[in-house]
Amino acid sequence: MRNYLVKRILYSIIIAWGILTVTFILLRVGPSSPVDRYILNIAARGQDIESVKQAIEARYGLDKPIYQQYFDYMGNLLQGNWGWSFSSSVPVMDLIGSHWIYSFQLILLSTIVAILLGIGLGILSAVKQNTRFDYAASIFSFIGISIPGFWLGLMLIMVFGVHLGWFKTYYDTSYPIWSLENLRQLILPVITLSIGELAGYVRYTRSSMLDNMRKEFVTTARAKGLPERVVIGKHVLSNAMLPLVTIIMFDLGSVVFGGAYLTEIVFGIPGLGQVSFNAIFANDYAVVVAVTLIGTFLVLFINLATDILYTYIDPRIRYD
Amino acid sequence: MTESKIPVGKRARLSVYFNKRLAQYYWERLQKNKLSLAGMGFIIFLMLLGIFGPFFTQDPTYSDFNLANIPPLGFSRQESVYDIKTNEFITTVIEGRPDHPLGTDSKGRDMLAMLISGARISLLVGLIATGIAVFIGVVIGVLSAYLGGWVDNVLMRFTDIMMTFPFFLLLVLIVFLFGPSLAIIVLVIGLTGWTGAARLIRSEALSLRTRDFITASRALGASDGRIMFNHLIPNVASLIIVMSTLSIPGVIMSEAALSFIGLGDPMRTSWGTILNAGQHTLDTAWWVAVEPGIMLFLTVLSFNFFGDGLRDAFDPQASI
Amino acid sequence: MSSAILEVENLNTWFYTRRGIVKAVNGMNYSLYAGECLCLVGESGCGKSVSALSLLRLFDSPPGKIVQGRVLYNGTDLVACSPDRLRAVRGKDIAMVFQNAQSALNPVFTVGDQMMEQIKAHDGLDRNDVLTKAKMLLEEMRIPGAARALKMYPHQMSGGMKQRAMIAMSLSCDPKILIADEPTTSVDVTIRAQIMHILKDLKARRNMSIIFITHDLSLVSEIGDRAAVVYAGKVVETATVTNIMNNPSHPYTSGLISCLPDISSGMKRLPSIPGNTPNPLNMPAGCPFHPRCSKAMEICRRVEPGLVHIADDHTVACHLYGPGAGGSR
Repeated sequence: MRNYLVKRILYSIIIAWGILTVTFILLRVGPSSPVDRYILNIAARGQDIESVKQAIEARYGLDKPIYQQYFDYMGNLLQGNWGWSFSSSVPVMDLIGSHWIYSFQLILLSTIVAILLGIGLGILSAVKQNTRFDYAASIFSFIGISIPGFWLGLMLIMVFGVHLGWFKTYYDTSYPIWSLENLRQLILPVITLSIGELAGYVRYTRSSMLDNMRKEFVTTARAKGLPERVVIGKHVLSNAMLPLVTIIMFDLGSVVFGGAYLTEIVFGIPGLGQVSFNAIFANDYAVVVAVTLIGTFLVLFINLATDILYTYIDPRIRYD
Repeated sequence: MTESKIPVGKRARLSVYFNKRLAQYYWERLQKNKLSLAGMGFIIFLMLLGIFGPFFTQDPTYSDFNLANIPPLGFSRQESVYDIKTNEFITTVIEGRPDHPLGTDSKGRDMLAMLISGARISLLVGLIATGIAVFIGVVIGVLSAYLGGWVDNVLMRFTDIMMTFPFFLLLVLIVFLFGPSLAIIVLVIGLTGWTGAARLIRSEALSLRTRDFITASRALGASDGRIMFNHLIPNVASLIIVMSTLSIPGVIMSEAALSFIGLGDPMRTSWGTILNAGQHTLDTAWWVAVEPGIMLFLTVLSFNFFGDGLRDAFDPQASI
Repeated sequence: MSSAILEVENLNTWFYTRRGIVKAVNGMNYSLYAGECLCLVGESGCGKSVSALSLLRLFDSPPGKIVQGRVLYNGTDLVACSPDRLRAVRGKDIAMVFQNAQSALNPVFTVGDQMMEQIKAHDGLDRNDVLTKAKMLLEEMRIPGAARALKMYPHQMSGGMKQRAMIAMSLSCDPKILIADEPTTSVDVTIRAQIMHILKDLKARRNMSIIFITHDLSLVSEIGDRAAVVYAGKVVETATVTNIMNNPSHPYTSGLISCLPDISSGMKRLPSIPGNTPNPLNMPAGCPFHPRCSKAMEICRRVEPGLVHIADDHTVACHLYGPGAGGSR
């Protein structure tokens, strides 16, 4: 058990190193170096380009040999020195520190909604297999999987914001995070972000439940005279949930972060997606890199947490 | 007979990849799934539209501000203009016109022409990028499974690293670094989207590797290459087809999302670009945001239905 | 032997599949007497397992359905009674042991948990008593370190241990009837001997009635009091095991017995019954065995034979013994 933990953590560190290295290579291979990005900004202010260029190269160590640059890059990131945001004139870390909460609240609420509703509907759908409810749920999940989230967001704004006037068409940062008003203005964004996840969970839960309902141990449970509630709620569900944990965690990285990025842009929520989006058009190099890296490290952390969680929920792994 | 000119060995190899009776059998199974057929129909329609449509429509980038914000045929829009002479608002009703059956956007560009251009872009990106991704995935998966040892280790660790990056955030970063052009977008999606395929193919190939017919052909002295091309790949062919079909929707959505946030090719009109323009005219010209979204939704839905049908058709255990 | 505690009358369990109706159990009749071990014998796919599942309505429904027949236990028809009544019987009065303990035990709960939930569902014992009882049962099954075994997950046990834990679980509410569905098929020979020993022991000490389902005639002579030979979803011959072995009357039964290896006869090659079990979707008319039967007559192709008493406690469904059918083999 302890060996397993140590192994997983070491492994995550290797992956983290790989992530940083891949990013470093991308930055160096990219046709426009960070200097060019700064130059673009400085040129716009009408300063002398050549002298500024040399100053910046020296300042960021770009005149050093490539391996030296690589070590500097690693060292800086490890020390929490993630660079300077040119457009906001603050360290990147400060920018992230003041905006992460907006992304976090959106992702947290959406994921909770998606998990509760998705798994609930999936269970009902499996138990009521081939009924009207089941068909309705499967049509809903096909639509939910196929609808582009950012477009759905636009449509919601159009219908409920512009035409019906139930919600503001922009996100109002003057409300405190922990207020009902804030919760209310998150309703449309949460629907937008959770619909794809939710639909996916309905499908996975349904098929996982149906798979396990055919298992022999379910017949055993019935043969023991257990009430149907226990047969489904305990014996089927506990086995059906195991693969779902992986899927939910995997979705966070592959679907949710990208979705949150777009949802923030559609609704004007000042989270990290919005920060990165603004940085792209301000040519604010360090910020775009930092947001991608933070997302990636979060996924890495979530993967590690999933592995550890698994040792608690699946007894077959625990002693291996 | 031209056929007899093919050397015997070649012919035998071809027959491994295409078996008329098997194809017939799969086609019959696929036909039982009506949703899947509908999806296939829409995809064919879209392809024809993308290939031949541009010859019959006006230039999607041609703008005429006199014809801005014309609603689709059958719809109308009220426009109020303040008249200085009479000192009052003059309200005119603007009707849809047959020469712009789907309306125009705020710059007076023809929606139909833009949507057809978008169909071309979406399919192009969807098919080519998926092709690249699946090709890389198959190569890495088969090599990893077949060669094993340190090759497997290195390839799979690299896959893990690439998998940890949240897909969309990585796309944003790379397109930001390398500049938004259609070729870059296709390449980037192709070069980053192979990880799932590689893992799937690897695990499938691993389980095939231990099967008796592979052992038998090895015992008969077949070379590694022969085993790979004549046994491994034909046996994962159906998996590859299903996987490709089901990953096209994600690719199409990614391209649309990139264009939507302004990281699309500025020289081309894609559905995402139209949506980007449409989000600012939700109150005056709703159709600009609605129409490309519906196309995107129907396309993704069609690929999902079609892919699901293919999977069931290929799965001997699925009851149809 | 006393009166029957379980009577199966004209039981029909059909599966409505896309390809057609599979009549897995097609007019099954037998009785189980108190304290005896009745063996249901037949080839795989003959419907013996489905018939056992049908007693407690445990088959998948849909597609399965009992279309006709009664299962009388203690005056209750288990086919027609309410789900609640049936649940009270399941595990409490009639318990089952399945073929493959590996897949019949839930992998994510401990063996103790799976035993105790059953006891709790039927007897209002408190936690301590339940625990003591579960432990006693494991000890009775000769599982070493019973207290520790309770806390084990199925994957941590050996195959034989799992099978014995499974039997212990089935006994946890002191059932009157134990249905053992090929309990020794998935275990190796030494464990098979252990399991057979345990079952014989149980029958002797607890005076339990056992329905033992098997395709292996050698096990029948080892444990059975009476045997019912099943072919194509129905019983074709019932008799005491001695009678079945020494005086098989149905041509199918004699075929099965002649397939048993016999060291003394010195035969080089074992005989086998020609042909295959009939396609359940397309049963032959008349006697289902007639296409494979060496003694088939004109009437066998048209008329399905009913069960006929040919001796005390020996019935057979064959036209050779029907009224006006010569009577001798």
